Amino acid sequence: MLDAIQFSSFADFIDMGGYGFNVWSVYGLFAIFVAVNLILPLRKKQRILRQLKRRMTLDEEINSEDSQSS
Amino acid sequence: MWLWFSKLGSPKWFYELSGKWLPWLVAAMVVFMTVGLVWGLLFLPPDYQQGFTSRILIVHVAVAGTSLAFFPLLLVSGTITLVWRMKLADMVAKNAAILGAWFSFITLATGSLWGSVMWGTWWEWTDSRLVSMLFQLFLLLGVISLRSALEDSETAAKACALLSIVGCINVVIIKYSVEWWNTLHQVSSPVSMDTQSPNGPEFWIATLVMIVAVYLFLSVSLILSTRNEILERERRSQWVQDLVSKS
Repeated sequence: MLDAIQFSSFADFIDMGGYGFNVWSVYGLFAIFVAVNLILPLRKKQRILRQLKRRMTLDEEINSEDSQSS
Repeated sequence: MWLWFSKLGSPKWFYELSGKWLPWLVAAMVVFMTVGLVWGLLFLPPDYQQGFTSRILIVHVAVAGTSLAFFPLLLVSGTITLVWRMKLADMVAKNAAILGAWFSFITLATGSLWGSVMWGTWWEWTDSRLVSMLFQLFLLLGVISLRSALEDSETAAKACALLSIVGCINVVIIKYSVEWWNTLHQVSSPVSMDTQSPNGPEFWIATLVMIVAVYLFLSVSLILSTRNEILERERRSQWVQDLVSKS
């Protein structure tokens, strides 16, 4: 299987037969595209849960203050 | 059937079901992405005319082909929103438009990076394939801005569904542009079983792996953002409150 690797050295691998810039740009762009569209929704979820949680504890505090004062 | 259909439209049901599916989808996505990218970067032999730029094509073809799925998806979800007033369909549509714009942009960018060396040009205004794909990007940006411009969600849903019908016509144009007009963009390569052929199994199986990987990525990303949308829109409901207090 390792014989099927198309490059004999790391420099060859980077060079991509002279098309290094274009090939690596495409793969890099693709990697960014995939990563961004997975990480952003995950971070958004954490933000939403944090906000909802804060609101919930705030509500509870207000409610308990209400019941104490009355 | 109808029970199943109305259940599917319930955001809570979708949230729970998708939660069970997500780990499997993510695992499958990681496997296909890894196989596709490693194969593409290390093992795919150079094309006899294109050299190693053929490696660009497996990514470009996968993303471009998948990007054509967005307008049909928007049309289906738009119709469901209009006819059955299902909230979930609109949540999917909102996020699909955004992800679709990303897909169209990456299609154009990767295509340009290939064309700049193989055609000697980054962009060609007279090429109907290129221009119709750019039009898809603008249509999707139009859908996104239409939604944010219209306050009333029902009006927004209707307008977006209408634009989606136009968008679906454009998908047909994109698909057949290379056959209807004389374009710089080449027609789809026929699948060949001949291992000596430039578009033999080695090339198209790698492309197929990337297509599956990209479709899995689309599903995972869309499910993640739809789940966020559900949490935001349903935040007052009891089940979301329970979920938050448990987290």
